[in-house]
Amino acid sequence: MSAVAEQIAAHGVAHGADTHDVHDTHDAKEQLRNNRLGLWLFFVSEAFLFGGLLATRFYLWGETRPPVDQIVGLIVTSVLLVSSLSMKLAETAMENGDRRTFSIGMIVTAILGMVFLFGVMIFEWGIFPSIYKAHETPWDNVYGAVVFAMTGMHALHVISGVIFILIVWNLGRKGHFSSDSHWGVESCAIYWHYVDLVWIFFYPALYLIGTPVH
Amino acid sequence: MNEKRAAAYRASVTVGLVLAVLTILEYFAAIYLHSTVVLFLLALFKAVAVLNYFMHVSRLWRTEEGH
Repeated sequence: MSAVAEQIAAHGVAHGADTHDVHDTHDAKEQLRNNRLGLWLFFVSEAFLFGGLLATRFYLWGETRPPVDQIVGLIVTSVLLVSSLSMKLAETAMENGDRRTFSIGMIVTAILGMVFLFGVMIFEWGIFPSIYKAHETPWDNVYGAVVFAMTGMHALHVISGVIFILIVWNLGRKGHFSSDSHWGVESCAIYWHYVDLVWIFFYPALYLIGTPVH
Repeated sequence: MNEKRAAAYRASVTVGLVLAVLTILEYFAAIYLHSTVVLFLLALFKAVAVLNYFMHVSRLWRTEEGH
């Protein structure tokens, strides 16, 4: 092949490689946009579920509420809030390539999530009556039924969130994510914040709004 | 620690503190004001903060560098 032809061929290969890289980047951005949209559509569907439970609370309880323990409510809410912060720090760490802070943040979030879960189970559900006797049971009346329905459905999401966190933490530990590519971390973080978001509305609905009935 | 990373951490902690303050306000509003509207407004502020700063909902419609 002549020198000119070789140069043209080399330019063609280089240009083809550039075009291919641009196309890959475009595909990756498109995939990320689709991933985000899919996750938020899932949240919209979950909003109907939790919204329905909230509507049930107000329909059945009206301006009343059961005599729940306010200190327990404030403590578990604070724990969940702090877990949201630690999750945000973990995600920010991965965005900036700080793997150590990412790892610590994820583990702290998982631990706080479990603390919240056990706080609700022990002090709200009364699963260990020798430690704390619950105010209501699910079959007592509408108060017990709604408390258990709302906190139970939320707890299922907390459990799945903690499992998600541990999986992502393990994958991160093995080097699956980077500052340029960490959809797993982002999706896990957003899911966990959604769990907190639901509790932001559940907390006043369960603990703060209405006159306590005895 | 580089400046960009430190600023990102600071922003997260600031939003966390705002949420903590709103939660405490909520608690005392429930005890002293007994207003459902006030409580839901406070919840709404917290929700907007979480949606915007923690869940970065704006990434849904913003074009940015992929990761």
